[in-house]
Amino acid sequence: MKYVAGCDVGSLTSKFVIMIKGKIVCEEIIKSRPKPQESAETVMDKALQKAGLKKENISFCVGTGYGREQISFVNKSVSEITCHGKGARWLMPTAKTIIDIGGQDCKVIKLDSSGKIDKFITNDKCASGTGRFLEVMAKVLNVEINDLGKFSAKSKTPITLASTCTVWAQADIIKYINSGYSLDDIGAGINIAMANRVAMLVSTLKPEKDICMTGGVAKNEGVFTALEGIIGQRIKHIRKFDPQMVGALGAALLASESLTGEVKI
Amino acid sequence: MSKEFIEIATKINYPLLSDWKSSGKKIVGYTCSFLPPEIFHAAGILPIRLRGIETESLNIADAYYGPFVCTFPKCLLQLAGEGKYSFLDGAVISTGCDAMRRLDECWRSAGKDYPNAIPSFFYYFDIPHKSDNHALKWFEDEIKLLIKAISNNFGVNISTENLQKSISIYNKGRRLLLELENLRMKEGVNITGEEAFAASISANLMPREDFNKSLSDWISDINSLPELKVSGKKRIMLIGSVNDDIDLVRLIEKAGALVVAENLCFGIRSEKDIVREDIEPIHALSYRYLSNSICPRMFGGYLERKGYLLEKVKSARIDGVIMQNIRFCDLHSSENGLFERDLEDAGIPSIRLEKEYGPLTETGRLRMRIDAFLERISK
Repeated sequence: MKYVAGCDVGSLTSKFVIMIKGKIVCEEIIKSRPKPQESAETVMDKALQKAGLKKENISFCVGTGYGREQISFVNKSVSEITCHGKGARWLMPTAKTIIDIGGQDCKVIKLDSSGKIDKFITNDKCASGTGRFLEVMAKVLNVEINDLGKFSAKSKTPITLASTCTVWAQADIIKYINSGYSLDDIGAGINIAMANRVAMLVSTLKPEKDICMTGGVAKNEGVFTALEGIIGQRIKHIRKFDPQMVGALGAALLASESLTGEVKI
Repeated sequence: MSKEFIEIATKINYPLLSDWKSSGKKIVGYTCSFLPPEIFHAAGILPIRLRGIETESLNIADAYYGPFVCTFPKCLLQLAGEGKYSFLDGAVISTGCDAMRRLDECWRSAGKDYPNAIPSFFYYFDIPHKSDNHALKWFEDEIKLLIKAISNNFGVNISTENLQKSISIYNKGRRLLLELENLRMKEGVNITGEEAFAASISANLMPREDFNKSLSDWISDINSLPELKVSGKKRIMLIGSVNDDIDLVRLIEKAGALVVAENLCFGIRSEKDIVREDIEPIHALSYRYLSNSICPRMFGGYLERKGYLLEKVKSARIDGVIMQNIRFCDLHSSENGLFERDLEDAGIPSIRLEKEYGPLTETGRLRMRIDAFLERISK
């Protein structure tokens, strides 16, 4: 039995997916440690334990994410742009544009008909428009990051942030809290600010249908819906799979291709 | 031999400079490739392009410039404020772009606050942004004013005969650089992009006679070097904002590509344009340095620059073009957008990278984009 794996060591979380014959065996996610190698080993051990496998059972592993160069056990490393494209197309065969919002970057990827990268664009150095922006804002509001998305549905008059700069936006948020604005309106304003920032990148690449979202922020319904409204196009949900795991899934699919060529997109 | 160039290209104060100074000779720094260094050479002064490598902080420069400005002139000011350019006998600031023009004011201001930050000869050299007859005449007058200022300040005589000799020596270097470019472009290449780029950076830093000799010797050696294992490596051209950081080329080559050409003002760019040796030298210099529109600082020359780029892409058999620009560099970020559109339309893959000038602080982010670009063009 030849198992393959994908290991995605990101700035905030590390993910591991194990596959066999084009089927997902198990997936695991942890908060990233300071050292990429430590993150990779920890998430792999947890995944192996969950699947009841040993390291020796993995015939080929592809590494991706910021820490990919530091993972000693991978057979090959591939950029997260290619991996997200690969994973998204496998999950949604009609996907042409992928919006991936990770912990500290945001990418928009366009695929050609064969599923290869046609074009891509990433955010610049600034942290606004990334998961880090939401993380910082959640901290200021003293709420869980996963709860931020829920505020949008309940908000009637979302606040407007004067700046999308993460540092200035914090000051803005504190001002709104002190002025007595509701958490719902502040949270919704944060989600809209995030969506506005991402929409600039999306528009630059002229998105084509179908559009889908990957990365942790894809789970934030507030950002998801706001982004759909701003770009004026429907974004399809990735169903039955955690969008945050798509990079690791793409890496596992590439591992499978490297090993046997059995996976066809 | 390439080691000598790499050592010079990676240091602000390299041993050749101390040797030059200890023999009692002068060094003048300048900021733009549109300034003819032949003038200083003819005066027996060593002209060097000012660089911002080795910058570790911008605490001095930020006070004069503010945060939303290209980091290249800021790095120069920072190093000047830290005293790292205290070996200079003079500096000439030019209108490469508006941020570089402001370096004149900021550096003069910093000179009042930081001892030894400003050299005794500090000169502003204006360069027109057009190359019509009126601009050429203006530029010629500017060159004459610069010659007068150098003569008065350093007590030297820049004779016509010396200028002609200097032009001839610089032309020799241009022909050698062209030879180097042809060698790195060929199929069975035996030098890396990093080595070639280090040599072209050194052209702006070494006494020209020494540079010509070193490059000539190296070129003779290159043909006897074993061919590099480049099978499957993508051939990349690097263009955009001012860049003299060989680490960027290293990063691209480490990702599995080969940089076979540049269009950078520290790279091999307009060496085909030789200064005419059969006419009056000041007129010849003004015509050569102003008549090409190779940099987007020149108004209305986009089509000419695009033509030059496409020609080089074809002759070097380029698989992909990496366009970098320093954050807040309006000239190159706008032009890179146009290039991206036109290159992609012509079927030439390209990518735009925005970065800060100086030591690679964003290696992870740049590497991710370079990897993805190479994966894209490997299909």
